[in-house]
Amino acid sequence: MGKEVDMKDAPADEKAKEAEKQPVAVPEPAKPLAVLRSNLRLINNAVAQKETRTLFGRVLRQTAAVRKRLSARDVQAFLTSSLPASSSVAQQLLEALQQLADSAMDADGAAANGAAAEDRDAAALSPPAAPLPEVEVYCYLLTIMLLIDGKQYEQAQAVAAAALSHLASFNRRTLDVLAARIYGYLSLAHERTGSLASIRSALLGLHRTAVLRHDDVGAETLLNLLLRNYLADNLYDQAERLRAKAQRPDTSRSMQQACRYLYYLGRIRAVQQEYSEAKDCLQQAARKAPTSAIGFRVCVQKWLVLVRLLLGEVPDRTEFTAPDLAPHLVPYFNLTQAVRGGDLAAFSAVASAHESVFRCDRTHNLIVRLRHNVIRAGLRRTSLAYSRISLADVAAKLGLSSVTDTESIVAKAIRDGGIEGLIRHEEGTLEAARPTDMYATSEPQAAFHARIAFCMDVHNEAVKAMRYGAGGGAVKEFEDATALRERQEEELLAALEEMEEDD
Amino acid sequence: MAGPTSAAHVLALLDEDEDSLKLYALQQLDRSVHDFWFQISSSIAAIEALYEDEEFSHRELAALVASKVFYHLGDLDDALSYALGAGSLFDVASTSEYVQTILARCIDTYVGQRVQQAEGGEASLDPRLVAIVERLFERCYTDGQYEQAVGIALESRRLDQLERAVSSSQEPERTLKYALGVSQKLVVSREFRNQVLRLVVRLYEAVPQPDHAAICQCLMFLDDADEVATILFRLLGGSDDEALMAYQIAFDLVDAELQAFMIKVTTKLDALAPKPAAAPAAPAAPVEGVEGMDTDQAAPAEGAPAAPAEPAAPAAIAEADLSPFEKRLALFKSVLSGVVSIELERQFLARHNHADLQILKNIRATVEPRNSVCHSATVFANSLMHCGTTVDAFLRENLDWLKKATNWAKFSATAGLGVIHRGNVGKSRTIMAPYLPSAPGGSTPSAYSEGGALYALGLIHTSHGAGVRQLLLESLRGSQHEVIQHGACLGLGIAALGTEDEEAFEDVKNVLYMDNAVAGEAAGLSLGLLYAGSGTDKAAELLAYAHETQHEKIIRGVAVGLALVHYGREEAAEGMIEQMTRELDPILRYGGMFVTGLAYCGTSNNAAIQRLLHFAVSDVANDVRRAAVLNLGFVLASSPEQCPKIVSLLAESYNPHVRYGAAMAVGMACAGTGMREAVALLEPLIKDSVDFVQQGALIAMALVLVAQPEARAKPLRDHINRLYGSKTSEVMTRMGAVMAAGILDAGGRNVTLGLRAGSGHFRRTAVIGLALFTQYWYWYPLSYCISMAVQPCALIGVDASLRAPKGFQVVSDCRPSQFAYAPPVKVEDKKDKLKLPTAVLSTTARAKARAAKKKGKDAAGGGGGGDKDAAAATGTAEAMDTDKPEAADKEAAEGTTAAGEGEAAAAVEGDGKKKEKAVEEPSSYTVDNPARVAPSQRKYISFPSGQRFQPIRAAPSGFVLLKDTQPEAGEVDYLFEEEKPAAASAAAAPAAADGATAAPAAGGAAAASPAGDEPPPPEPFEYIPS
Repeated sequence: MGKEVDMKDAPADEKAKEAEKQPVAVPEPAKPLAVLRSNLRLINNAVAQKETRTLFGRVLRQTAAVRKRLSARDVQAFLTSSLPASSSVAQQLLEALQQLADSAMDADGAAANGAAAEDRDAAALSPPAAPLPEVEVYCYLLTIMLLIDGKQYEQAQAVAAAALSHLASFNRRTLDVLAARIYGYLSLAHERTGSLASIRSALLGLHRTAVLRHDDVGAETLLNLLLRNYLADNLYDQAERLRAKAQRPDTSRSMQQACRYLYYLGRIRAVQQEYSEAKDCLQQAARKAPTSAIGFRVCVQKWLVLVRLLLGEVPDRTEFTAPDLAPHLVPYFNLTQAVRGGDLAAFSAVASAHESVFRCDRTHNLIVRLRHNVIRAGLRRTSLAYSRISLADVAAKLGLSSVTDTESIVAKAIRDGGIEGLIRHEEGTLEAARPTDMYATSEPQAAFHARIAFCMDVHNEAVKAMRYGAGGGAVKEFEDATALRERQEEELLAALEEMEEDD
Repeated sequence: MAGPTSAAHVLALLDEDEDSLKLYALQQLDRSVHDFWFQISSSIAAIEALYEDEEFSHRELAALVASKVFYHLGDLDDALSYALGAGSLFDVASTSEYVQTILARCIDTYVGQRVQQAEGGEASLDPRLVAIVERLFERCYTDGQYEQAVGIALESRRLDQLERAVSSSQEPERTLKYALGVSQKLVVSREFRNQVLRLVVRLYEAVPQPDHAAICQCLMFLDDADEVATILFRLLGGSDDEALMAYQIAFDLVDAELQAFMIKVTTKLDALAPKPAAAPAAPAAPVEGVEGMDTDQAAPAEGAPAAPAEPAAPAAIAEADLSPFEKRLALFKSVLSGVVSIELERQFLARHNHADLQILKNIRATVEPRNSVCHSATVFANSLMHCGTTVDAFLRENLDWLKKATNWAKFSATAGLGVIHRGNVGKSRTIMAPYLPSAPGGSTPSAYSEGGALYALGLIHTSHGAGVRQLLLESLRGSQHEVIQHGACLGLGIAALGTEDEEAFEDVKNVLYMDNAVAGEAAGLSLGLLYAGSGTDKAAELLAYAHETQHEKIIRGVAVGLALVHYGREEAAEGMIEQMTRELDPILRYGGMFVTGLAYCGTSNNAAIQRLLHFAVSDVANDVRRAAVLNLGFVLASSPEQCPKIVSLLAESYNPHVRYGAAMAVGMACAGTGMREAVALLEPLIKDSVDFVQQGALIAMALVLVAQPEARAKPLRDHINRLYGSKTSEVMTRMGAVMAAGILDAGGRNVTLGLRAGSGHFRRTAVIGLALFTQYWYWYPLSYCISMAVQPCALIGVDASLRAPKGFQVVSDCRPSQFAYAPPVKVEDKKDKLKLPTAVLSTTARAKARAAKKKGKDAAGGGGGGDKDAAAATGTAEAMDTDKPEAADKEAAEGTTAAGEGEAAAAVEGDGKKKEKAVEEPSSYTVDNPARVAPSQRKYISFPSGQRFQPIRAAPSGFVLLKDTQPEAGEVDYLFEEEKPAAASAAAAPAAADGATAAPAAGGAAAASPAGDEPPPPEPFEYIPS
């Protein structure tokens, strides 16, 4: 799952890089087809036991694990062995895959041969006459995944749409997890072709259905997809309204979806200038995100850096030097340095140098807002350094052109509490106040409070996440007690007998 | 596709003054609400205002938009109210998710309001809501979804729609059947259920081919004896098939064991019968000068238990004069009185008895006789194993051992005879004669055995007690001895269960008011039994007395008696439940738990479950908590799969009483089902650290696994075998193990614990028997009441003459070994094991120096000798003692198998199985009439076509009436015929019959002989201190 997060959120080139970094071959990985077959068995078991939690978790994990090595031939072989040839689903999917398979054959003849060999094994297995809907949907899922990986987005969209209409005829809770995954890929396929707006209405409908059917996983996934959809078109207001009104399950079913939700919420809040709330959300998202989801973490980190800068905080240097994130964060690192220094010229230089990156990251409007913070940071440094300084000098230091403007800016900064001081208008100077003893204020208390609140929050979440294990502990204790008593009595008897023997 | 990204511009139009603009805005919104509901929801107030605005011309459209927005917001109640406001714009016929959801909500709301209205609340029904529901009903009818309509009608208490659904249905029978099943399973309110039943009966009668069996079942629930009698009378007067159906109905009614109802039906039938009917009945009856047409009385009076099948000589002459109709009527009444079914079941149990005497012998040899608790448990196990089989070989062989039972143990042992001879109504007095005074008021060897015998008479006649009522009443009046009064009260109560007998009530009440603890307890229970399920006003009187008396035993007796009185009363018992659960006296609260459990028996009523759970965790008295948990078993008896789930947490309680209660609750709710969940829950409890929890779990496990395939019961059997011999386990545990062994093999392995009759109704006698059984906690003799709950797992086919034809067979579509009897316990293995104690004894004898220490060990090892010199002698005596029965056992075992081969069905099945195992087991086999059909085997049973006898109803258990398809094919061979001459001669010259059975008796296997004649009862015994 972690990989998925990464796939969606990281730009394509990052993905390629990351793929290179992956160890080339884990010692003898299982053949993709074998893994798919074992997944088929897992699905059948899970459906028979009406159990969705663990088995589907495993199915999807294993699928994600072989995704990189999966070839069109593998999936074709799997389809023919798991779906009856007569079924419309199988025909449709095989057709969709044909083109991909052809191109793969040209590129790599050897691999095709290997797959062909497995094809023969598959022929030996006769597919069941009426496959479970779960199996059909899983086949859809594999096909869509493969098509997206093969960059055949239109084809993927068509198949995903077919999958949706197929899904609409069922109301089975065992389908929920797979269906949610299909929604995700549908949205991804449209995102790649830039046609997200066209599926908005469909997603809204699906979301409503999912809520009505108490399909928590589906509802959660769809809400995130909708938010993403709106955010992609910069419809922050719409996104916020939907988020506020939509019903959400009390506890999240999937950590990944919860992460994403927090990330989107953080972005909305940041745009709405509610920075401290945005910071909370983004921080949680960063903390909860799986380590392997590098792309996602990079995105979160970028937003988090900006939000903290806007709040007037300066992120730690270490936050930019984490080895896996560092290369992507360079522009933001430079930006932070500029803001910290309060150097408006440097800031402008960085902003213009990396403008294309910022636009691509959709963070440009926040960076525009930062200019104000840069001025304020510079002002603070100045007010700390000088007990009295002329406003003209301040203007020069900050790189502002007009002294009158500077006076207004300083006045506002004093009123907002950014700096403490006094403007002598007649003299045209800024007189800084004596630095106060921080420990005499309630500042330390507030800082402690923030930390304690955080710890309590972590603790409470941990408690909520706890589950009672199966099988009572109490019963086990009784058993132990009985066994103990029996053992003691046997020992007693043995001791008595021994005494007799001695005599 | 990508339309506008916001609805803000449209929403702005709503604030305009122009109506046409608003209308346009609403139209736009209605179209796009799906995509922008979250945006519109912030302006919902404006839309609501438009709807409220009387002058606005398109209020309905505003309502529709508002409804859709609320639907998206998840506020379905508001969505519904606005949808109702939208009037015709809300399209009921649409299949969209919105409409479907709102409609579902609509029905829910309607149902809620109707129920509130029906229960006295002042809920006003929205006429628009009603209109929509009506439209839904219409749609159901046009779509042919009658079952759906029935469901909604029942939920919303619309009897008129129910009637319409049935009458407009293409298959009224099927719809009615569905309605009946649903109403009994799902309708919570008793009052409404009765209304539905009345309606169903009325509708059934209108159907061209009414299902009379179902009608009569309904009427029985409604306690409408007149109607039942009329229907049956009509059927009896009809064709042969109809008469067969009447017999079948009679068997079904008897199965429900409502004695008072049967008596009413019989009386009514007599009133209906044409005058001359009384005349021929009279000559048949006066054989013993009993005046009256009560067949209950007449049948045993004739001295032949198979009265209907084979009337005694004078009756036969009288029969010749009877018209065919009168013959039918007489036969029919014999069925209704229960004589036929009891007799056939007794024959079945006696012939198929597969109780393994070796098990009992092993128990007897291992359990030290000085321990009276285990001793009486062994006697109990024996009684139950042979329940209804009339085989008392074990008692006969171990008279000396039996004599160790004294006082109340003797009372119980004598009562055990009643269990063994259960259903032997014809000879009950002969069997019990040695323990009863020859004349009322005369002297007997012991008051305990006399009291026990009276109790035994009650158990023999369970629910069919007309034959012994007088005797028991006289004994009650004629004695001032508390033990005899105790026995007579119990006997009378059980025999006359639920008859509401005023005369008996007065007598028993007098005993109660004597304020004697022992007799008073039994009197309290007896009063409850007499008025079981009636909810009589006398309950208040009893409760008042319970407050007055000082004796805890009496309070408990009365409290449990009150519970019996309120059996199945549901809401009607609420007053009593409230009162009793608020008492300060824990014993009355204890009774309150039982009132709750029995009043809501098998209803799975949520309120009752909640109340019991509340008391289970919050009461201060352990007894009350235990009873609260235990009664969950009764409430959940109709849905056994729920019970383990609900009590699973309680089964892990820190409080052993709660754990015990949980075990028993599961045992009772899942009795005879062999459910895996139940077994899984009980398994850890069997190894509990507290002895009585182990006991409860063992008994519960046996209840669950009775009559289950041997593969399931094997682990329990092994565990029991380990326990009763284990010196390290507590007495309570061992007692539980021995009792469990008895329950597991109850009725010669041919019975199950059936709380429910074949039709799915609860058998009152069985439930009450089980409730009394749980009182063994305080009073061991009450454990014998479990025999009231047993139900033979037999499929007995009878033809129009109410005899069981030999030629009838059924096919069981499973491997023969799957439901076969457990293999007999091997004797050889045991021999080695049993020699061990003697070896130990001999070494102890050698070590003379440590005699003092040994004394204690000898006693523990089962040796009687305490003296130094006697030690060696004891050792040898012990060895001989254990050897002797062994030899006898072998003979007995051989005797039984030899005798078994002569048997018709069971032995063939057993032997055949052995042979086939060597080759290959067939996947199905045929069983002769009467067939043993284990509860879990029922689904495999089928009736082959092409037989001469065909069942009129394909029921896999109980009594099935057979239709003779080839009446011209000649004489029919009937089962149980061969002993008839013997029986007759036995009646004529008992001495000769005794002589005939004396010879095989020497072999020790007389009891197992299939001759059918009961062996004479064991000698009266006297306690001789050794």
